Amino acid sequence: MSEQALQRVAEKFPEAIVHGYSQHGDETLVITREHLVDVLQYCHDDPELDLKMPSSLTCVDYIDETPRFELVYSLYSITKRHRLRIKVRVSAEDPSVPSVLHLYRGMDYWEKYCWDMYGIQFTDRSVPVERLWMYEEFEGHPLRKDYPLRGRQGLIPERNIRDIYRGPGPGPGSVPASRPAVPRPSQLPVIK
Amino acid sequence: MAQQHDNLEVEDFDVLDAKIPTKTMTLNMGPSHPATHGTVRFNIELDGENIVKLDPELGFLHRGFEKSCENVSWTQCLPYTDRLNYVSALCNNFGFLSAVEKLAQIEIPERAKYIRTIGAEIHRICDHLTGTGATAMELGGFSPFLYAIEARDLLWDRIAELTGARLTTSFGRIGGVDRDLPEGWIQKVKDSLDRVAVLRDEISTLLTHNRIFLDRMRHTGRITGEDAVNFGFTGPCLRAAGVDYDVRKAHPYWVYDRMDFQVPLGSEGDNFDRYYMRIEEMKQSDAIIRQCFEQMEPGPIIIDDWRYTLPPKPQVYSTIEGVIGHFKVIMEGIKIPKGECYAYTESPNGELGWYLVSDGSGRPYKVHCRAPGIPLMSGLEHMVRGAILPDLVPTFDTINMIGGEVEQ
Amino acid sequence: MSVEKKPVTMVNVTVDGMPTSVPAGTNLVEAAKTVGVDIPHYCYHAGLSIAANCRMCLVETSNSPPGKLVPGCQIPVAEGQSITTNSPKVKEQQRAVEEFLLLHHPVDCAICDQAGECRLQDYFQEYDYRPSRFETPKWMSRKRVDLGPTIVLDQERCINCTRCIRFMDEVAKDPVLGMFGRGTRQVIDVFPGKVLDNNYSGNIVDICPVGALLNKDNRFRARAYFLTATPSICTGCSRGCNTFVDHFQGVPYRYRPRENMEVNEHWMCDHGRSSYHQLYDGRLLEAEVGQQQVEAGEGLRAAAAALKPLAGSLAVVVSPVLGLEDALAVMLLAKEGLQASEVYLSGRADGEADFYLLREDRSPNRKGVELAAQAFGLELRRFDQLTKARPKGVLLAGVDVPVEASGFADWLSGVEQVVALAANRDPVSAAAKIALPLATHAEGEGTFVNFDGRAQRYLRAYPASGSSRAGWQWATALLAELGYAYAYASAGEVFADLSKRLPEGALGDFDWKKTPRAVVKGVTPLPGGTVDGRPPGWRELIPLRTPSNNDGSSAA
Repeated sequence: MSEQALQRVAEKFPEAIVHGYSQHGDETLVITREHLVDVLQYCHDDPELDLKMPSSLTCVDYIDETPRFELVYSLYSITKRHRLRIKVRVSAEDPSVPSVLHLYRGMDYWEKYCWDMYGIQFTDRSVPVERLWMYEEFEGHPLRKDYPLRGRQGLIPERNIRDIYRGPGPGPGSVPASRPAVPRPSQLPVIK
Repeated sequence: MAQQHDNLEVEDFDVLDAKIPTKTMTLNMGPSHPATHGTVRFNIELDGENIVKLDPELGFLHRGFEKSCENVSWTQCLPYTDRLNYVSALCNNFGFLSAVEKLAQIEIPERAKYIRTIGAEIHRICDHLTGTGATAMELGGFSPFLYAIEARDLLWDRIAELTGARLTTSFGRIGGVDRDLPEGWIQKVKDSLDRVAVLRDEISTLLTHNRIFLDRMRHTGRITGEDAVNFGFTGPCLRAAGVDYDVRKAHPYWVYDRMDFQVPLGSEGDNFDRYYMRIEEMKQSDAIIRQCFEQMEPGPIIIDDWRYTLPPKPQVYSTIEGVIGHFKVIMEGIKIPKGECYAYTESPNGELGWYLVSDGSGRPYKVHCRAPGIPLMSGLEHMVRGAILPDLVPTFDTINMIGGEVEQ
Repeated sequence: MSVEKKPVTMVNVTVDGMPTSVPAGTNLVEAAKTVGVDIPHYCYHAGLSIAANCRMCLVETSNSPPGKLVPGCQIPVAEGQSITTNSPKVKEQQRAVEEFLLLHHPVDCAICDQAGECRLQDYFQEYDYRPSRFETPKWMSRKRVDLGPTIVLDQERCINCTRCIRFMDEVAKDPVLGMFGRGTRQVIDVFPGKVLDNNYSGNIVDICPVGALLNKDNRFRARAYFLTATPSICTGCSRGCNTFVDHFQGVPYRYRPRENMEVNEHWMCDHGRSSYHQLYDGRLLEAEVGQQQVEAGEGLRAAAAALKPLAGSLAVVVSPVLGLEDALAVMLLAKEGLQASEVYLSGRADGEADFYLLREDRSPNRKGVELAAQAFGLELRRFDQLTKARPKGVLLAGVDVPVEASGFADWLSGVEQVVALAANRDPVSAAAKIALPLATHAEGEGTFVNFDGRAQRYLRAYPASGSSRAGWQWATALLAELGYAYAYASAGEVFADLSKRLPEGALGDFDWKKTPRAVVKGVTPLPGGTVDGRPPGWRELIPLRTPSNNDGSSAA
């Protein structure tokens, strides 16, 4: 059933398709970044495809390959009961894709996730993309393969928030003295 | 039955609303707030009592689930999956294992399929009991919560007898499950289910016709079916909006195609429908478990293939073949063939999807968990924007956000 | 080691449907490798003659007799041949051979040093993966056969592939090993009255596909699957054999030869193999001033203060055990910081060369130090001229001396100021007024230039122990203390800057950035990355063994 969906998209956008295949019953289309929004728009609007549900969006870091990152959009159709996986490759130098938030509002958190964990930028977003899980001051993107497994980062300076009960805190820039000082990655000398 | 209490429409309040222009106020709720039973923090912008903007801040329970999984063997990922939705660990365990088995193209034995179905359905009841009880408690009704916890602990005791742990089960292995049902367990579960049914009905009696409860639940946190699909809602929250999608029916796995059960559907997509969906689903799960007990037959519980499973202990201790098989699986991990797959099961909160990539080594290259709670959280603002602040509490309760899986 | 150039005719074959083109005479195993197909084998080794006795590499070919399988290691490719390595018949053959080989194999994995890098394990899990059908008791044999000073044989584990026999016959040219008995009683042993004491005996441990031959040096010391292998260069002589340093948690456990057909082919000698002990035995790990342990910074300032007034009347002695980068930085220090016009070349005492790899010159980088001196226009003097020169002060970069160490130490005690950069404690470093701990080549990265001018890179295996620093780091730090600012952050920067001064084409087409093959990680490593300075593979466990000071206290 999803093979037909795959065929339908492939016939509609022959120039966008890099590769199309089926593995373990999962239909996958690899498309170019330029056609991403068009293809997803078509998947969303076409009554035959009717892929109205954004199942998930994730990214895979193929660190030894070029382009390095692969974004994996997973779409589902409630009415047709089929599923389509759409992949886009982006390079490490320019890890950005157009946002599809205007089509699928559910992609909001997944796009945040891809930015937070992999550093993928989403252009044309109606709301700015922020980190989903990590804190704003976090340096780097932890799910990239070159981020160390136990990479520790030091405490961040206190934020400039006025505590209405306890009065002003030690102020921005201060770190509790009781904690051991672990340097922030940006403060470390470059080790080669 | 809900219609009987339908004597107070939301629109009535609009007439009473005094349109006084005021400055908006930012309110911080959480991360440790009695009404945010997950550890989540909301930045709420209020205009009077109406929510203008809701900005959930996630990540307090983030522990690098995916990063951890990429650095251990496939089997070692299993304990991490317990901690996703910690109220229904078996659903996560078996969901993950199903995905790995899809990648390795393994067909698990019949009895293992039944055991997985039973375990998942018991934990589905536990999850729904928790969600329902917590909803009632946060709306002021403490008794239903106590009933729910009594029922849940009864079932957790049965799970502990099966797996050895109440919450962090780590049950199941690639290719099946690691141990069979204990002796006399079936009767114990049946007895427990009888008691759970009594307690469940009691909760339902206390809540479903309760005027205070209904006032808080009816017409609040509404979402249309179309919007719910667009946000990627699944599970009870989607079905409450009238969209018929249950993975167990749409794409049956394990033995769900042999089960006779109904998928309850809502019509309004409001908090009450979501609450009632869970009450009804518990009844269906009860029926499924009993059917499994009727149908299941003795047989192997795990495949006999030393590439994927550990050799039996007598073999390990006395033959070189067993030692090697054990050593390779433990030290280097199970070699899952190169490839990728997306596999999904119905967890209590909706579709639990796994996008796995294997590079042929003993460790996953990528483990992506499509936790059902993440789309639900992304739709939360849509559901409560414009509503009053007290509506946030039942809405947040009925989407049943679980920090473990949303913040991974 | 020169390969004669002959006109090569290419043969087109198909391996599992994938076409490839290989030189005529290539065997099927090598041909399959070109398209990424691994044909399993035990007895075949690219550096040895063909025995074709393990029968693991049997494959189907289009031109073999009907219904017959042919040994892939023995049969050369033929034009248009199609090779099938995954047909049911081949699979069954591989399974059957594996089952057969395990019939009498002892249940030893738990105590076997080979576990984790054992072919029997690899192929069992890939081709057999099922219980044995053998019910009678296993045949017992001798578990500990002492073949010589370095090698122990476990005859029960042996699968009689004869790799070791062929190696001793063909490469080591010392045929002391033979096959005795027939059938189940067939065993490997030394010929009566002979001892396996060849300088190349360690290689038979490497080529043994199972855990039958073991090196006494590292038997029961480390689990193979925990070891991370980092490409390195042997420092035992000026041959510059390519090696792997196998290490775990900052402790080296062994050297293994790394294939380089132009230098050492597949082998290395036992002299070099045992030289890894210097990487952790008797290390000097903290700076010492007058035999008193001090902070590294204090030692550095003391050294600079001692050297400064002697500038111009100081003898700088450079050891060719240092890498090229270290040597360049020391030359820079000598030339600019200490106004020297000549340096003395020390190094280990010459030994006896053998017929194959071992060279007379037992220092790995004599050529490199000579080039470095040339680069700075410094006159290089022989070591024996040092004692005649009667210098006021001596800076020893590396404490390897070609003369008797205690005698030289006596002479040193008569010198006013002696500053030594020393990796190991010995009489010479003890005689130094100020001793600064020097990192070994496994703890840093750099280049060695071997006897025929081939520059070869070695990589950092684990971080430097204690306060030890690489030679270039000490040299730059001393320069900074003396008022010359050279901010080098890595050995790569030292090379990039200072190698410009080397004579044109001195290193041929050497490219510093082109490193040897990637690090081969242990079975349970953690991934790489140095955001917090910890090396790849670092695990926060208790080390099995720590580098030791001579006083017996273990270093932190």
